[in-house]
Amino acid sequence: MKKKSYFTFPTTYQAIKAEKVLLERKWKYKMVPVPRSISSSCGLALSCSPGDALAIKDYLKESSVVVEGFFELEEKVSKSKLSFFKRREQQ
Amino acid sequence: MQENMIYFDNAATSWPKPEHVYKAAENYLRSICANPGRSGHTRTIFAERLLYETRERAASFLGVGEKPERIIFTLNATDSLNMAIKGVLEPGDHVIYTSMEHNSVLRPLGSLKRNGVITTTMVWCEPSGCLDLQRIKNALRPHTKLIICTHASNVTGAVLPVEEISRLARENGILFLLDAAQTAGSIPVDLQKIKPHLAAFTGHKSLLGPPGVGLLYVHDGVKIKPWREGGTGSNSEKDRQPELMPEYLEAGTMNTPGLAGLNEGLKFIEKTGISSITEYEQSLTAKLRGGLGEIRRVKVFDAGTKQGSVGVVSFTIEGIDSGELGFVLEQSFGILCRTGLHCAPYAHQTIGTFPQGTVRFSLGYFNKEKEIKHALEAIKKIVSSLP
Repeated sequence: MKKKSYFTFPTTYQAIKAEKVLLERKWKYKMVPVPRSISSSCGLALSCSPGDALAIKDYLKESSVVVEGFFELEEKVSKSKLSFFKRREQQ
Repeated sequence: MQENMIYFDNAATSWPKPEHVYKAAENYLRSICANPGRSGHTRTIFAERLLYETRERAASFLGVGEKPERIIFTLNATDSLNMAIKGVLEPGDHVIYTSMEHNSVLRPLGSLKRNGVITTTMVWCEPSGCLDLQRIKNALRPHTKLIICTHASNVTGAVLPVEEISRLARENGILFLLDAAQTAGSIPVDLQKIKPHLAAFTGHKSLLGPPGVGLLYVHDGVKIKPWREGGTGSNSEKDRQPELMPEYLEAGTMNTPGLAGLNEGLKFIEKTGISSITEYEQSLTAKLRGGLGEIRRVKVFDAGTKQGSVGVVSFTIEGIDSGELGFVLEQSFGILCRTGLHCAPYAHQTIGTFPQGTVRFSLGYFNKEKEIKHALEAIKKIVSSLP
């Protein structure tokens, strides 16, 4: 099953700061709502591929971004469920 | 609205605003309008980016670009001053302030004093706005916690010696709160140079934003209690504010369209250059001040401190009530200005115009030289019609 890494933040300001400092870097990442299985102070998380996660973690630290938590999750939403919604939309 | 009206009330609120300020506020309301920090959808993220960008831009404009999180969004300078005053003072503290302060300082101090929380000492300025530092030194007490000083008087335009006062405060281990409502965006305000512990700004005057947005700068290490507490969208399970700035001092839904406008106001100032703005406003002000000074029966109030002045000129005409003069200026000459006490009763006592007040012309970057000429002609006509 595919894995994804998530960074959570104590405040929204720190989440947007993370996004901002990473803007000019090569890594691919997305700002997403915090998955329900993770507990976080701020509702916004940064998700990236596990392969880039450690480098991103170091870079955020270097840029004085306050990270609250770091998680690796298996993608739980199966493709079949998503395709079910797609089929409904097409009807 | 009268087409040929002349707006000389920029110290109350600036007008017009740069075109992008109107557009950004409207665009925000129409197309974004999400509540930053509250949800995870694209539009909230956009709103959060806008706040971040505005905060960074304001911090860098004020010389503290390395620490945008020390810039707190507030409602206006009054809100910032209340947050600072009520956030740092504790029972038994003593506060020193000058006679040029606005009611936004006088009233919060007055209520804390009446409630027996603090004691205060007001230091009188010279009629020119000059302030003898020895007077502040004489007012120091062992339990003095805070010195408050306006950067420029909203009555005379005089710039006060805030760097020296800040140094004096630091040498004595006292907090210094700067009220920069009248200066930011009109003359350079460099927080690295002035080094206040706290500084209050408003977005709707020379920063050219809409009303309803202000800024509070809080230096590292200043112990401040949140004056306003509530939702931030983070740490929701706890019944206390997040400990990190800026959220520690920011609660409740932000005036996001106002901040979108302020961001554009700051961009306009960046693009135009604060030195060009200062130079232009000062040259207009000198023409107005000089011209008024040459008209008989007109008394122009001095703003001759060595730190200079902002685009605010107060005057009276012998034999006419200031309020009536303001009315005639609008009705017969289309000039909008402010008369009376300008929410600064002790400043008027300082210059000897209490309780009758003065007429105040306050200029902005969008005023034109021909407007100054028109105003001077108007005053001449009024004076010549007097018995």
